[in-house]
Amino acid sequence: MVMQKDVFWKAGLFTLVVFISGVLLGYFLESNRVDEIREEYRNVETQWADAKIQSSFYQLMTPSFCEESIKENLNFADRVYREGLKLEEYEQSNRITKEILYDKERYVLLKLEFWINSVYLKDKCKTNYTNLIYFYAQNPSLEQKGEQDSQALILKDLKNKHGAELMLIPLPIDLNIATISILRDAYNIDDVPALLINEKIKLDGVQSIEEIENVIKDGM
Amino acid sequence: MDFITGVYLFFIFVSLYVSFLFILIYFKNRDDLYKYELMKKLPSISVLIPAYNEEESIKETIESVKNLEYPKELIEIIAVNDGSKDRTLEILKSINGIKILSKENSGKADSLNKALEIAKGEIIAINDADSFPEKDAFLKMVYYFKDEKVGAVTGSVFVKNRNNLLEKLQSIEYMMIAFGRKLFEYIDSVFVTPGALSMYRKSALMEVKGFDSNNLTEDIEIAWNLLSKLYKVKMCLAAKTYTIVPSNFKLWWRQRLRWDIGGFQTLNKYKHAMFRNKYGVLGGFVVPFFSSYVLLSFIGFFISLFMIARRITVEGFSFYNSYFNDADLFRIEEFHLIPNVFTFFGIFLFFVFLTYTAIGLKMVNKEKQNIGKTNMLIYLLFYLMLTPILLIHSIYRMLIGKLQW
Repeated sequence: MVMQKDVFWKAGLFTLVVFISGVLLGYFLESNRVDEIREEYRNVETQWADAKIQSSFYQLMTPSFCEESIKENLNFADRVYREGLKLEEYEQSNRITKEILYDKERYVLLKLEFWINSVYLKDKCKTNYTNLIYFYAQNPSLEQKGEQDSQALILKDLKNKHGAELMLIPLPIDLNIATISILRDAYNIDDVPALLINEKIKLDGVQSIEEIENVIKDGM
Repeated sequence: MDFITGVYLFFIFVSLYVSFLFILIYFKNRDDLYKYELMKKLPSISVLIPAYNEEESIKETIESVKNLEYPKELIEIIAVNDGSKDRTLEILKSINGIKILSKENSGKADSLNKALEIAKGEIIAINDADSFPEKDAFLKMVYYFKDEKVGAVTGSVFVKNRNNLLEKLQSIEYMMIAFGRKLFEYIDSVFVTPGALSMYRKSALMEVKGFDSNNLTEDIEIAWNLLSKLYKVKMCLAAKTYTIVPSNFKLWWRQRLRWDIGGFQTLNKYKHAMFRNKYGVLGGFVVPFFSSYVLLSFIGFFISLFMIARRITVEGFSFYNSYFNDADLFRIEEFHLIPNVFTFFGIFLFFVFLTYTAIGLKMVNKEKQNIGKTNMLIYLLFYLMLTPILLIHSIYRMLIGKLQW
């Protein structure tokens, strides 16, 4: 019997076809997800622009601008939070396309702007909703990752419990964004996870629901 | 794309290549797997049976060899007592019609070489003292020697003792090995001639100066040696023998360490053949294939170990913090499967492997042994997973120079 040499190159050919198809399929799927998230961002950005104009409009034209602006802000806050969770999931599953990081930076900037607007509204309208900023690391150490996983679950429960009364804004501290650096210095944030409640109280390390609720209650 | 993703993709590529190679070989030759022809003029055979402390099986083994359907005048049985401390020699002396060679314990390879010196047959058959060939095994195998380039022929080795779980798992494994080895034959790459049942052209054995007594797996080394001299090594799936396998985990582990270390010794001895044409298929496929196998197993094991350790550390910190902050320790809704490139390849390769195993068992398990779905699952999900751990243990044993058994 003659050695069947042809199977070597045929196997190579099949492998190339399946491998390239698989990689392309994976790339297509991930690109679709990136496109989907970009589309969501665009919607969020448009909504945010709309919310800002509405806010300005209410300030200029109507005496009851607070109520409407806050309502818009809270709706927007919920949406930003939900989109944030989706983004995290997509980011973790993408293996080939890592370009999502750039979009994340834009997203973080949007969240920062939104937060500052919330602070302004709270001050102007003397409302009692809570701003809770959750500082985490994009590239954490193993210990930080474990702590962040635990804190994220706790905050998710807290958010579910308090709904729109709580504006939960997660911010990564290790992205190359100047405002984040300013915030870190201003609030002395050296380690993560850390929480900033109503721009006044900083909590380091993992906090339970009860601890956070107590701090919010005491601070009011 | 990060480093780990790159390594995974490389693994996938190699796995796909090997899978397609075997699938193609199978589909091209599936009607010929059991094909054999009978020789009109049969050669003389010397059957060498090395034995070390084999009092429990030696008599039955020799009886099964004596009962082979092969002209008695053409068969010479040489039993080698390798310094046994039990009744092996005494039993051998009570058996008529065999030659007995008794010596100090010096290992299997040396025993075979000593027997080779007095063997008269044109063909040398090796039959372990705990292996029992089917009656027509030799008749089916010798035909291959019609081709002058064939230096060795091996048969299918199956498990005789299938009582406990470990033995049943080995039974599945041996069937898959037989199937895989037959597929290797079509690319002239049979890389081992197991002592349970193998035949050699005596002149070829003499040319390579017999078995390497410094190697723990003389049956792998001799096959590579013959390949390096451009001899062909064939596999007759229809020729069957039944062997006794380790019944407990400790013995099984020791056996596998010996196989792995012997394999490493052989790989090291023939590494110079890598990609060199003058060594034929040994340099073109066998050495690169096994080098890649060892390297990938090694890298794969450490990457898996790293990922598992990383995961355990993260989960440990998360568990600790959740516990002390009254949060849920585990939440099923937090697990989301978002498909990525590895999901497709993972599912694809899993089904390819499952299909390969199913085809292999269907082709080889002609006696319809009851394998059992649970045993099959344990074999696929746990038994095979021990392979890289064994490799690492073998490398460790080699590094510390602990090669004795």
